[in-house]
Amino acid sequence: MAENANTSITRTRSWFYTLRTIFLREFRSFLGTPFGWVILGCAIAMQGFWLQTALQIMTKATGESIMFYMLDNVNFWFFFIFIFPLITMRSLAEEESHGTMEGLLTAPVTTTQIVLGKYFASLLFYIILWLPMLLYPAMSDLGNLYTSIRYDVVPEGRIDYTPADWYGPLSILFISGVFFIALGILCSALTRSQIIAGIVCTCAIIIYYFMGRVPELWGEFPAAPAFHYMSISEQIGSFTRGLLDTRPVVLYVSLAVLMLAVTTRIVDYRRWHR
Amino acid sequence: MSMVTVEHLHKVFGRFTAVKDATFSIEKGEIVGFLGPNGAGKTTTMKMLTGYLPPTAGTASIAGHDIIDQPLEARRHLGYMPENVPLYEDMRVLQYLEYRARLKGICGKSVRQQVGWVVDRCGLEPKRKNLIRTLSKGYRQRVGLADALLGDPDLLILDEPTNGLDPNQIRQIRELIRSLAEDHTVILSTHILSEVEMICNKVIIIDQGQIKANDTPTNLTRGLRAAGRVSIEFKGDLDVVVKELEAYEPVKKVIVEEPLPGGWHHVIVRAEPGTDTREKAAAIIAAHQFPMRHIYRHIPSLEDVFVEMTRKD
Repeated sequence: MAENANTSITRTRSWFYTLRTIFLREFRSFLGTPFGWVILGCAIAMQGFWLQTALQIMTKATGESIMFYMLDNVNFWFFFIFIFPLITMRSLAEEESHGTMEGLLTAPVTTTQIVLGKYFASLLFYIILWLPMLLYPAMSDLGNLYTSIRYDVVPEGRIDYTPADWYGPLSILFISGVFFIALGILCSALTRSQIIAGIVCTCAIIIYYFMGRVPELWGEFPAAPAFHYMSISEQIGSFTRGLLDTRPVVLYVSLAVLMLAVTTRIVDYRRWHR
Repeated sequence: MSMVTVEHLHKVFGRFTAVKDATFSIEKGEIVGFLGPNGAGKTTTMKMLTGYLPPTAGTASIAGHDIIDQPLEARRHLGYMPENVPLYEDMRVLQYLEYRARLKGICGKSVRQQVGWVVDRCGLEPKRKNLIRTLSKGYRQRVGLADALLGDPDLLILDEPTNGLDPNQIRQIRELIRSLAEDHTVILSTHILSEVEMICNKVIIIDQGQIKANDTPTNLTRGLRAAGRVSIEFKGDLDVVVKELEAYEPVKKVIVEEPLPGGWHHVIVRAEPGTDTREKAAAIIAAHQFPMRHIYRHIPSLEDVFVEMTRKD
């Protein structure tokens, strides 16, 4: 029993191996516990709700794609603002409050690996939340087929779409998610309380959202273009109309990098000032 | 080369100085017991060695790697079991240990092999598929120990490894630590002094952040006040005996205790450390033909050392 084949332990010093290990554990903590499935269930329910709302609107108004009606909708914002704190509030705060941070930080692991592992796991889970929407084109086809058989081609009952109707909105949801998930991870690093992390993150996202609506309230003033530039509602509006823009990509990717860099510094800072 | 070198390590929390200028070194293969009252700075010192808490001043190195300049290298040589053993509650034992093994850079087939080895060694076999949440304190403790053993590190730092265990489990863990000692260096902290006497070959006593003693248990107990103490129970003329005992050279003081039932007197003779006054004392009492039923020379324990070094008066 005491014989441990010491000489034959295979070890690696790969930076990505450690990152992958942290990433996989974090990702499993979403799908290996009820937590992730509850969020996924809520997301699917919400998506069904938006679809229903969009279909109702489309019986009265036309001219925009179905995704526009789904996302240009107060139901969507309720979901979109609260989903990020829900996904990210646990990540570092729970590690801190359960004391498991001690095990992480005393293993041969860097703070950057911890932060990035947690970030990518949360981002992947966020992407998974939108996967059910990939079924919508197929569902539209099925619906159109049914209408054409049942009603001998009634134009008003058809859901016409182009592929851009789907990949436009889904890509802006992904691009902005890159930033909002990073923001959530940052909030989670600030405190050992998940609730506080969640509240701070919700607050930050709401403020960010309303910053984008400042020109609507104040009219156009010299600084207004900056507010237009960061307006998530305008970006979603233009992406759902099929206008793919690289400016939000630059904005959100650079903001995400900034957030993650700050998070790494915060984790280190909290450790040095414990 | 020393396994652990600690130089002028200092830790301040706000206005509170937790560790003051600690300097010591630990050689390869030593089992070091870290003793001290609650809040003395044991855990803080250990946490600084693991690189979890950065020192305010001073430094330390593990297997020649500085904990501040080469933290990852130092941690690769280290297995740490924190106090209270924080674990991921939602993971299963095997899953958790495999994760920890990978985190320590073990890869390929070695992951399974190492996890199998520590599970076997820590007696986790019956619980290996359980959720950590459902484990009893003793098993959690073993999971923590198994985690520390993963990857066969040169240095094990165990913060109260037997805390909260029942006597049988304590014995098992103690055996385990002793068997590890052959090719590992172990630092452990505990409140159970008999445990330290049994397994450690070096003791570091820390009180109010300062290192009070750093020696082998035998050396520590040698020069102790309690060392020459003899307790005697006899019948007869108390004053005569006390007078004659006090006249004897190495005796410093004779303390008369409460008389025992049946007319037995109980005295405690305090003498110079390292002397044995039993023979002379027995001869004095025998000369008067007083009956004597008990004579005992106190063997100083680590507890005496601990009390003497850390008491406030």
